[in-house]
Amino acid sequence: MIRLEEIHKSFGTLHVLRGVSLEIAKGEVLVIIGPSGSGKSTLLRCANLLVEPDQGRVFIDGVHVNRPEVSTEWVRQQVGMVFQSFNLFTHLTAIENVMLGPIRVSGLAPQQARAKAQALLARVGLAAKANSYPAELSGGQQQRVAIARSLAMDPKAMLFDEPTSALDPEYIREVLDVMTALARDGMTMIVVTHEMGFASSVASRLVFLDAGLILEEGRPEEVFQSPRHERTRAFVSKILR
Amino acid sequence: MGLKSLDYRKRMFRTIDTIVAVAVSSAAVVLVVYLVVGRWGLDGEYMVRRFPAYFLAAMTNLYYTGVAFGIGLFVGLLIGWVRAARATPLDKVLRDARKVNDASFPTKAFVGFGARYLLRRTGDAFVSLIRGTPLFVQIMFAAAILRIQYPQLNPLLIGVIAGFMALTLNTAGYQSEIFRAGFQTVHSGQVEAARAIGFSRSAAMRYVVLPQALRLVIPPLTNEFIGLLKASSLLLIIGIVELTLFGRREAFNFFVVFEAFALVTGIYLLLTVPVSKVVEWIERRYRIPGLGIQPGTVSRA
Repeated sequence: MIRLEEIHKSFGTLHVLRGVSLEIAKGEVLVIIGPSGSGKSTLLRCANLLVEPDQGRVFIDGVHVNRPEVSTEWVRQQVGMVFQSFNLFTHLTAIENVMLGPIRVSGLAPQQARAKAQALLARVGLAAKANSYPAELSGGQQQRVAIARSLAMDPKAMLFDEPTSALDPEYIREVLDVMTALARDGMTMIVVTHEMGFASSVASRLVFLDAGLILEEGRPEEVFQSPRHERTRAFVSKILR
Repeated sequence: MGLKSLDYRKRMFRTIDTIVAVAVSSAAVVLVVYLVVGRWGLDGEYMVRRFPAYFLAAMTNLYYTGVAFGIGLFVGLLIGWVRAARATPLDKVLRDARKVNDASFPTKAFVGFGARYLLRRTGDAFVSLIRGTPLFVQIMFAAAILRIQYPQLNPLLIGVIAGFMALTLNTAGYQSEIFRAGFQTVHSGQVEAARAIGFSRSAAMRYVVLPQALRLVIPPLTNEFIGLLKASSLLLIIGIVELTLFGRREAFNFFVVFEAFALVTGIYLLLTVPVSKVVEWIERRYRIPGLGIQPGTVSRA
């Protein structure tokens, strides 16, 4: 589904990714963990070309996509993304946020887009909040609208960049529930998160990223219970308390 | 009862608030006039009789300001957009050029990059030029150029053209700064989110950044309009008979100094106060629920 080959990325003199290779099959849920600054967000952004790798190749469904001939807009429609800070369009209501992409990018008629958006909002449990503006919603509700907005483009895979770390504790559950349901429906997902409960119960594979390299990879329970590397052990013991 | 009556009471309070504000401002003006000229007394009959003539002169200011501001809005938006748009970094252009096999691609990429670079630099230069020189000089300069280039033209017509030209270019420069700031204030996460669902750079600008930026620029644009209206009095140096010049002539031709300047001052207020009230209404109408809009300030050098 998504394959990253030997990805390198530098920002100025900072070498953030130092040759990361990763493959994720259709329907798989991959969780990426790692200390801050290890390159998790950058790696995720390379998968939908929000960040363009300096070296290395990105494949989506077998198509080499980080070439100038391939439209990055097309790539991003294939791979949805949910951000840590939600980034809902502040001037639009919840339903308009979900409708904007289908209307302006996919060229769907407004009426069809509205019906689709309403269905997606119902799917994330927010049918009643369709006409609220982002600033009138709680963090958890905003993040669920953001998931609906991303799903509206019918992506083949979804990327989640620490979707719950900007949330108050009482709202984390509702977002994780939506993500779990999405995974059960067979969505291919790459999730950067430190929610170990979610990782253990939903992820099929876990990757530990450290200083721009994949240090350890395996089933979540393997990595949590018997990490092979000292760095992984130290990190896991810190977040598993 | 309930919500409706609360809303009604709120509106009522706002109306009373406005009336009180107007009353207090008028009282303050009357007090100042009384303290300064009270001893001599004002010629009320003159003021009432000549008010229409003064008001007509003020229409000249309003006309020049309105046209210049309108065109400036359009030009300023474009220049602000050009200056706010993030350029593709040169190293990415170089990288892409190296990767593509199509022989014409590198040339196309470089021409595109160069054109955009030049456009942005031209915008920068324009704004520096406008903002770095007095409007006074710009008006005189425009008139002088026209007079030398087209000596056959009627001097009156030259004044009109130079006036429109200088005010329009001036306000376009200032407004482009307002728009640039507006575009750049919209959080970068908004663009990233739009890009993530497949918007191109320009579509993200058009559908996500622009609607938010337009709300942000309303207060500074109001400042700019009022500033321009007041600055339009500088047109008197190229012989355009607007409110200030008209008032000054009346004052010294008929020796009605206090009356004339009281009328000039009053009419400026009569024009500027309603403008801010109308804009306040627009701001309320387009406010994003749950979000405050912070007013910006711009000063005219």
